[in-house]
Amino acid sequence: MLAIIPSATLLGVEGRPVSVEVHVSNGLPGYTVVGLPDTACRESRDRVRAALMSSGVSWPMKRTTVNLAPSDLRKSGAGLDLAIAVGLLVASEVLDEAAVSGHGFLGELGLDGSLRRVPGMVPLVAALPGDVAVVPPSCAEEATLVGRHRVRSANTLGELVLALRGDAPWPDPPVPGEPEAPEAEPDLADVRGHRLVRTALELSAAGGHHLLMVGPPGSGKTMLARRLPGLLPDLGPEEALEATIVHSAAGRALPVGGLVRRPPLRAPHHGASAVSLIGGGTAQLRPGEVSLATNGVLFLDELGEFPAVILDSLRQPLEEGVVRVCRAAASVSYPARFLLVGAMNPCPCGEASTPGACRCSDAARLRYQRRLSAPLLDRFDLRLEVCRPDPGDLLAGPPGEATAAVAERVAFARLLAMERGVRCNADMPGSRLDEIAPLDPGAAAFLEHGLRVGTLTARGLHRVRRVARTIADLAGRPGPVSAEDISLALNLRAEPVRLGVAA
Amino acid sequence: MNGSGAAPDRCDEKASDLSSTAWVAALAGLPKMGPVRMRALLDAWPAQEAWRRVRAGGLETERRVVEACRGLTAEVASQWALVARETDVAERWHAHRERGIAVLTADDPSWPAAFADDPEPPVVLFVRGDVAALGAPTVAIVGTRRCTPTGRAVARELGFDLAGAGVRVLSGLALGIDGSAHGGALAAEAAPPVGVVGTGLDLTYPRAHAALTDQVAEAGAVVTEYPLGTPPAAWRFPARNRILAALAQAVVVVESSATGGSMHTVDAALERDRSVLAVPGSVRNPAAAGTNGLLAAGCAPARDATDVLVALGLDTVGRSPARPPAPSVEVSADQRLVLGALGWDATTLEQVADRLDVPLGPVALHLAELERLELVARTGAWYTRLAPTW
Repeated sequence: MLAIIPSATLLGVEGRPVSVEVHVSNGLPGYTVVGLPDTACRESRDRVRAALMSSGVSWPMKRTTVNLAPSDLRKSGAGLDLAIAVGLLVASEVLDEAAVSGHGFLGELGLDGSLRRVPGMVPLVAALPGDVAVVPPSCAEEATLVGRHRVRSANTLGELVLALRGDAPWPDPPVPGEPEAPEAEPDLADVRGHRLVRTALELSAAGGHHLLMVGPPGSGKTMLARRLPGLLPDLGPEEALEATIVHSAAGRALPVGGLVRRPPLRAPHHGASAVSLIGGGTAQLRPGEVSLATNGVLFLDELGEFPAVILDSLRQPLEEGVVRVCRAAASVSYPARFLLVGAMNPCPCGEASTPGACRCSDAARLRYQRRLSAPLLDRFDLRLEVCRPDPGDLLAGPPGEATAAVAERVAFARLLAMERGVRCNADMPGSRLDEIAPLDPGAAAFLEHGLRVGTLTARGLHRVRRVARTIADLAGRPGPVSAEDISLALNLRAEPVRLGVAA
Repeated sequence: MNGSGAAPDRCDEKASDLSSTAWVAALAGLPKMGPVRMRALLDAWPAQEAWRRVRAGGLETERRVVEACRGLTAEVASQWALVARETDVAERWHAHRERGIAVLTADDPSWPAAFADDPEPPVVLFVRGDVAALGAPTVAIVGTRRCTPTGRAVARELGFDLAGAGVRVLSGLALGIDGSAHGGALAAEAAPPVGVVGTGLDLTYPRAHAALTDQVAEAGAVVTEYPLGTPPAAWRFPARNRILAALAQAVVVVESSATGGSMHTVDAALERDRSVLAVPGSVRNPAAAGTNGLLAAGCAPARDATDVLVALGLDTVGRSPARPPAPSVEVSADQRLVLGALGWDATTLEQVADRLDVPLGPVALHLAELERLELVARTGAWYTRLAPTW
């Protein structure tokens, strides 16, 4: 007899519907899986057999064929186990076909018959046809985020059979754990001194401007960067779902409540491979760090230590907000709209930012600075040197302004950007700059001088005007941007230790 | 004349009318050739004969030469022979002539007298420009390549004032202090400047100073002990510094870290009994650590050109700085406040804003305008106040 059970498999961050067809017929007992299963998927046979036996259902001593349709799509992972098991039960007439109609099944089976979580539950459920999604209990919360299905779960295959037959009620969904206090994000109040960098962080959060910090070891670059996500407002519903789908597809534990509501911070080590950063790799085409940072912050510490090839591969996501990964088997695109924060030393010895203190040879400095290509460097609207704080500030200075106070201004500036019809000021199209960020006469004269003497390029001009708009927004000056805004923007876009391009 | 040379001697017919200086110049172009080895060869034979022996190879068996060379391996001798066989001495000699490069040896009447009692004098000097520029009085102005704007300005002023007072300014034509000192000396249009370099005169290192090198050669002279085509190499710079120290009557260090290359020049100068002066710097300035160290060790301070003139034993009367008065720059009251808060040490934007207790924006604007007026110089995040110059 034949059973067709809807399920789904994961490709990139998208679920693809899969029909699990199970055919049980007379003939030599045997079991084959066809339809491009990967190893984990092929091994389902042993898990399913053991799970069925542990649940008190006998394994059919018949010829069994499992087809995973469409058969040209590679199926990966163990998420189809449950659908195969249910298909077997229907095909061997343990379950009535009517009992499973309209149900889609997702989940891995343990040998004891228990249902286990699989990564990517959000996109998988989104791809399920039908009204009811049956998922492992640990994924129930994640599965409800899609909102299209009634979500059912059972702890074991045995419970599931009873519930489907109507012999027992569906077990209660697991009680969501006590919402643990959100992990305290580090607070800006801990930072003493560093007035300019604090301003840059605020501008970066408010305007979505990418930020590069260059400074000697121990100047607090990493500490400051980790405080940036705290300044960003909570994610909107669409942004949150987008981030949740990526995190789910990457198999990362989601926060209590399921949705990723706070902007994520991803800080990969500089030893990261291109695939881990951009995405791809296995047949499943896992999302990379740039996608996990979507709608949040991608922090690359020791930027100069990343291989140049990897850094340049960031240019597409920075420009377009998506990453397209193409492999022979498939090509997928992931969201990758992140705020890039880079930190690096000015030279191998780290002291070049203090005038006259560097001990490196010219060649070593040049090699170090060439790691960052000019096009990548150009993406940073804010490039500033971080100096070691004054000892007096460290010991006795007043504590800085708290994150909450700054975040309020940031939220207000983001609101202003929304009213202009852009997500943030960094997204302002060049054609609308004259309308959104007009220049007062002093500012125009200032920029003209910069262009004439060559300290500013045409592209830099647009970026400086966007930053100046954010400066004026944060200061609560709605009108045209002034020479003060422009000169601060230029100051924050300066060459940290001659990095080789004009602003 | 044709001895045991195995290879046919291509250049012998033309060679007969070459002066002995041509052969010395050719010897100087051999790899791993320094003044000690040169002298060993020239003490043993006349220049042309020495070249023939080198070409023939097997110098490592000449005990007298090997001892004078303080060791000479078969490897080096065969490398010399290889290079010598491929060198057309006459052609190289003419290349020097065509470029107007004077080749001096100790027999030359214009050979600088300063080398007479030198512990390690060069054997040959290649001079581009006016050979007469090598005379006295001379001062070497040296310092770090990574100088602060203040150091740069001080070097320029010293160069200008000393050249204006009739003193020939020597430096290594490197980036930073060296270049600024020569810039000042050229601007004075008085005493001829002299550059001492560590490469052949057809190559410029650093490339950024190609124009400056041309100007110095035009107004004075550029000197090296290496023939045309010699590329820059790390070991040649300390060797260059010893010539710099030998040619100068006094060495002024403007800015140097405690271990900088300028300290080689200082050591070479002390070895030769030249006076060494150091420009005092801020104790907060890492680029002045070396010069302040020199002062602590008892060096005379060089606050301005007069200090240097006194050290040279020159009459300062009539040699006072002939600098044109600095153009007066109009600054607003706010800009004056910012200048005051800036002080004379390297300072950041936020430090200035903190000292004045005002927002960052206006300070950034004033600093940018002061930078435009050339009252302030910016390096990375750091601003330095500049004294008004001409």
